Amino acid sequence: MAEVSPLGNPPLPPPRLERGIVGWVRANLFATRFSGALTVASTLVFGAAAIFGINWMLFNADWSVIATLGGQMVIGQYNTEAACPGQNCFWRPQASLLMVTGILGMAWGVAGGGLPKRIGIGVAVVLAAFALLPYSFERMGMDVRLLLAANIPALGIGWAVARYTPLGTSPRIALSAVVVFAVTLLLLRGIPGIPGLQPVSVLNWGGLTLNLLLAVGGIAFSFPIGIALALGRRSHLPVVKLLCVVFIEVFRGVPLITLLFMSQVLVPLAFPENFPQNSLFRAAIIITLFSSAYMAENIRGGLQALHPGQAEAARALGLPSWQTTLLISLPQAIRNVIPAIVGQFIALFKDTSLVYIIGMLDVVEISRAFIQGNPEYLVSTKELFLFLGLVFWVFTYGMSYVSRRVEENMGVGRR
Amino acid sequence: MEAQETKNGAEDIIICRDVHKWYGSFHALRGITTTIGRAQVVVVFGPSGSGKSTFIRTINRLEEHQRGQIIVDGIELTNDVRNIDAIRRDVGMVFQSFNLFPHLTVMDNITLAPMKVRKMPRDEARQIALDLLERVGITEQSDKYPPQLSGGQQQRVAIARALAMQPNIMLFDEPTSALDPEMIKEVLEVMKELASSGMTMVVVSHEMGFAREVADRMMMFDQGSIVEDGSPEQIFEDPQNDRTKLFLSQIL
Amino acid sequence: MKLPNLTYKGVPVWRHAQVLQWTAQIVSGILVVVLVTWFFANIANAIHDRNIPFGFGFLSREYQTPIGWHLLPYESSDTFLYAFLVAVTNTLFVSLVGVVLATLLGTFIGVARLSGNWIVSKVALVYIEFFRNVPLLVQLFFWFYIVLALPPVREGYVLVDRLYLNNAGLSIPWLAVSSAGSALVWIGLVIAAIVAGLLVHRWLVLREIRIGSAPDPLLVGAATFFVIGAVGWIVIAFSSGTAPFTISIPSPQGAFGRISDGFTMSGGLMALMIGLVMYTASFIAEIVRAGIQSVSRGQIEAARALGLSNARTLRQVTLPQAMKVIIPPLISQFLNLTKNSSLAGAIGFSDLTNVAKTMTQTAPAVSIFLLIMAAYLAMSLTYSLIGNLYNRRINVGRR
Repeated sequence: MAEVSPLGNPPLPPPRLERGIVGWVRANLFATRFSGALTVASTLVFGAAAIFGINWMLFNADWSVIATLGGQMVIGQYNTEAACPGQNCFWRPQASLLMVTGILGMAWGVAGGGLPKRIGIGVAVVLAAFALLPYSFERMGMDVRLLLAANIPALGIGWAVARYTPLGTSPRIALSAVVVFAVTLLLLRGIPGIPGLQPVSVLNWGGLTLNLLLAVGGIAFSFPIGIALALGRRSHLPVVKLLCVVFIEVFRGVPLITLLFMSQVLVPLAFPENFPQNSLFRAAIIITLFSSAYMAENIRGGLQALHPGQAEAARALGLPSWQTTLLISLPQAIRNVIPAIVGQFIALFKDTSLVYIIGMLDVVEISRAFIQGNPEYLVSTKELFLFLGLVFWVFTYGMSYVSRRVEENMGVGRR
Repeated sequence: MEAQETKNGAEDIIICRDVHKWYGSFHALRGITTTIGRAQVVVVFGPSGSGKSTFIRTINRLEEHQRGQIIVDGIELTNDVRNIDAIRRDVGMVFQSFNLFPHLTVMDNITLAPMKVRKMPRDEARQIALDLLERVGITEQSDKYPPQLSGGQQQRVAIARALAMQPNIMLFDEPTSALDPEMIKEVLEVMKELASSGMTMVVVSHEMGFAREVADRMMMFDQGSIVEDGSPEQIFEDPQNDRTKLFLSQIL
Repeated sequence: MKLPNLTYKGVPVWRHAQVLQWTAQIVSGILVVVLVTWFFANIANAIHDRNIPFGFGFLSREYQTPIGWHLLPYESSDTFLYAFLVAVTNTLFVSLVGVVLATLLGTFIGVARLSGNWIVSKVALVYIEFFRNVPLLVQLFFWFYIVLALPPVREGYVLVDRLYLNNAGLSIPWLAVSSAGSALVWIGLVIAAIVAGLLVHRWLVLREIRIGSAPDPLLVGAATFFVIGAVGWIVIAFSSGTAPFTISIPSPQGAFGRISDGFTMSGGLMALMIGLVMYTASFIAEIVRAGIQSVSRGQIEAARALGLSNARTLRQVTLPQAMKVIIPPLISQFLNLTKNSSLAGAIGFSDLTNVAKTMTQTAPAVSIFLLIMAAYLAMSLTYSLIGNLYNRRINVGRR
């Protein structure tokens, strides 16, 4: 006979050992004998490593090399007498930075809070904080520090612009960002004949600025090119398909550094001798094309995963095929492969460090060149490259963090 | 086979003459000749792989026929891109797997084609969509995304989406096969209402109750041919073809 | 029934779907052909007009340039062609060794990431997030410095008189050929032993299926291989008087204590290998984790319900299914590792790209580009081919 409880039994809390910190520790650190042994062993090993690492970082490491390189890591040789004779060019990249902060402020204004707000405030505060570091007082002029501190008002202005002017919609912000990118390029390059805007050869661009410019430009162009290649590879037209396949496979089959190196010798031959071109522009194009070949494969994966009924339904509704692709297939395909696409953006950003092969002084190459030119700093190489790794990590991890958040927000409406 | 008398003697809206379709070497449609009159409700049935789905998909040219002639609402289906676009605007289709666009809200699913293809102003399209949602019995869900709805609700949205283009002909490709039993009824109710409003409908379905109640005409497909064509009474009471008899005995 | 012959009549050409498609094809085809022709015609013209050297005659000339580290024996007096082969071998060596090590490390970290133990799982996460988010070049420079900071040769670390680690690299004992003839015979025997081992394994597996019980096929197969190999060795050693291979132990020589004999990995190669393996392992770990997670919980529960042990479930249910998800992206990581080895030049290792770059100073650059393109494409295509073959095999059972 079963024991019957006509009123039902009341709920009881779980046993003490499965609750609270004790329960968590039991479940996650000592679940089995093997797990317990692992916990003890790994605590000893990684604990010792952590203590050693922190001790080294705080007391033994010599971080002065970073201070010595300082602004060169950010803008390379841009503001040297050779690049910008007879005047001070520091304000140009800084003005660009203010515009970027303004864009972040606009994004915050439209979103009204959340992630854009935190990113915007974070960036502006970190930049402004540089103006207040004791280090900056020694090395930067008042003007430089003022322009850095101005990032906070720039953020506010951007926010206000989005709130109180018709510019406050997402497409218009995207357009503003494109304009800011173009203005930045123009500002850094300079315009002949305008005082204060003397041209600076792009070959003198450098530092982290160069990495970021190449990455932003590469992302902006490789995305649409990648989409076009992916669509081409799925085309019913054999000629188009073949061409896209060959393009994609050749660019994916050869290392980027080899392509960059080849572009410097081969591409100039294809143009008349006096045709205006420069190595940075060629490198930017190669990086973009290289990245779009990978992008195409990611997007193709997304398109392949789509149910064929989606395109059929759109065609049955009378949508012409280009609208079916644009409105139905692509948005779903891209949404499905956001992690892969962002992974490719990150890869592209990391790959910008390969421009050393064409003699550009990006943030990695300028550091390496500095060590080579100043052997007394050879012992600080590990500090320098550890720091560089951290700088790249902040950007790349930030990108993947933002993409994960965006994906979560788009969770509604997915299958 | 001779074309059937059309309902009330009205004009033929779909004319098929000796339509053939091959997938590679597989002969899927083997000379389909038939006409369907305006406002007729035709239920097409038959074993799987018999060509019934292929048949209705050639009517709006989701599949291209390789031989023969199809004329829909006075427009011949040829390689003329203008004709193909015109036909698709004129013929609505409902799929077995709904095929709603998961990245668009219910409202956007319905208004997309009227706005993009018919160039209808947004407000007008939304008004039509709201009317249609009321007609199919889903008024509260217009801002939800399709995956948030039940199967029956999704299929009714799909019907509303097809109707929003104000088609003259509606094609249904097994509209209830992917649904749970309790949801089949709500979709069939909507289809019955549509039939009584005078819509020309070609329905691939094995819902024999629906066929008996609503259809003007039934067609049995087998191995790429129409093997029997008649009124529901005739098909159910006195099937002429042994294959029809056998098939009906298996599903009834 | 008589059919009126109306079909396809009266469709204007500009609205005919097939005509439109074909026009699009032909136009795009012509466009690209014109573009490509223009590009290469310009290069051809430039080669002609600006007297840029071109041709492959240089391949039989002496290269006359040292190659820092080489797996194959190399002298400066060797030809360009042979030097190019040496460089390709270097890249292949890095690729193959790197792929094996990265797969081992990556699998280990991927499994650790899934561990129920919180500390192990988090340490794996930190590893993955750090190493895959920092440019390989930065990592290579870091490791290169660590290697350079090792003590000089005479003060280097020595382990049990066999391993030498210093800023010139790592030297380990290795096989040395004592007589080419007997070595070749023995290698032939080893290949035969592998084939025999596989055949025995296959035969025993089939027998096990037929009869139901048999000696462990894996064990007996492996034993077959070892016995044939060992017996062959002994027979060759006795009949010719010398063993096919001897073990060469590294030792310091001369006034500067240079390490000779054994197998020496140069500092650049060591840094390259450490960097490539740690970088690629972080990607492989994610692939392995995703692969194992892709096997649905129901599969594991079903295996448990059938009474399979934990280990058997992993070996017979989880892994075979996870492999389908893991292998394709894994192969593309192998390819990435191979291509990433082209960064070797930055830390002074003589890989294919680096040697080719040096060659362009004394040989026609355009010709050299064609050669490296061909070499890399051949490697890529080989890896893709393996991937495609595997895909085809595992997709047989689907649907």
